[in-house]
Amino acid sequence: MAENLWFLREQKKLSVATLASRAGLPIGLVMEYESGQRSIDRRHLTRLARALYVEESDIKLQSDPRPGAPPLERQPSREAGRPAPAASPSAPPAQPAPAGRKIRERPPRPKAVGRPSLPPRPSQLAHLENLLKRLNKTAAELEAELGKPLAGLDRRALSTVLRDLQAKLKGVPQPVRRRAYLPEAVDEFEARYLAAAQSAGDRLLFTLFDGSTVAGQVVGFSPYSITVRTADGAEVTLNKLALVSYTRPAAAPAQEPTP
Amino acid sequence: MSLGDYLRLLRARRGGVTPWEIEAATALPKGLYRQMEQRYRAMGDEEAIRILADYYGVPYEELRWRHDWPRKALSRTLFAASLAQRPLTLYLWNGQVVTGKVVWWDLGAVALDTGAAEPLIVQRHAVERWAPRLEDATGEAADDEDAEEAS
Repeated sequence: MAENLWFLREQKKLSVATLASRAGLPIGLVMEYESGQRSIDRRHLTRLARALYVEESDIKLQSDPRPGAPPLERQPSREAGRPAPAASPSAPPAQPAPAGRKIRERPPRPKAVGRPSLPPRPSQLAHLENLLKRLNKTAAELEAELGKPLAGLDRRALSTVLRDLQAKLKGVPQPVRRRAYLPEAVDEFEARYLAAAQSAGDRLLFTLFDGSTVAGQVVGFSPYSITVRTADGAEVTLNKLALVSYTRPAAAPAQEPTP
Repeated sequence: MSLGDYLRLLRARRGGVTPWEIEAATALPKGLYRQMEQRYRAMGDEEAIRILADYYGVPYEELRWRHDWPRKALSRTLFAASLAQRPLTLYLWNGQVVTGKVVWWDLGAVALDTGAAEPLIVQRHAVERWAPRLEDATGEAADDEDAEEAS
């Protein structure tokens, strides 16, 4: 059964501001919806339902005013108190500011004080070193270009220098880097091997870190463990971290766990 | 076992103390311990290794030599060995030494053709060292593509 918006909101222990923020709607609009002054727009209904974790059908499109609550009064527009812009002949005269309402004068903002000079970051120095290497330049050559020692540069100045060097680097042809294919994000080969062994019903011989061995038929596996059925029918799950190696023994006699 | 894997083992033996707790208890920079454990290439410097050796109460050298054998270096070696189809010797954690050609390799394991009828599947975390050791220059570019371990 559909409920009033304000009821659902209070049920969820949310303030109007929180609900408005979650739904991405102006707070005034939510208040109007709650007071029943306005029926909820279809697009806003979806947002409100999502913000309240309810179904759209749970919210009444036109809320009943909350019992005992005073009728919602709209705040006078801020524009009302401001001096009217150059009035066009057709425009209606601007409304005067309501009596007793003063526009607060803000004190002038204090002038921003320049940031103190900070020493360069270690990462900036490392980046500079790297860029110089790639540009085949020495620090002395750069100092000669800049006309001042690098040690005298602060964080901001060095940032500018780095930006310029970076721009220069774009013009320099870079060597083509050939990257090796390192399948470090896959474990498909081992998974394939185990899947084949499982479907063929092969017996594998596992060597563990403690020196013991386990022989058995693979009945299941995961990225972290392998479950085998030993000759006596018992199922043993081996953690891969405990394994050193395993292989398919060539017609080897079945081995039981050894101490 | 790379330094990262070994640190993880030591941490597990400590009852699973978190990387943040270790960083709080030592003078390690924020985030370094996690990187040393999880990244595939060698992370951290001598000082960080010394701090961790003190923290875990293990000899400094025990951690230091592992720093030179990261997972990424093993990947490069496996890649080159499988490409060239040349035999590779793996020195395992349990003292076993196995030699063979790489049949396949991935995130967790290496299949070696040791000359036996069936390939031997070696778990990568069991590999301590290997030979021949690929020169770093060969796969330098590969270092940049550092992957984060999923686990």
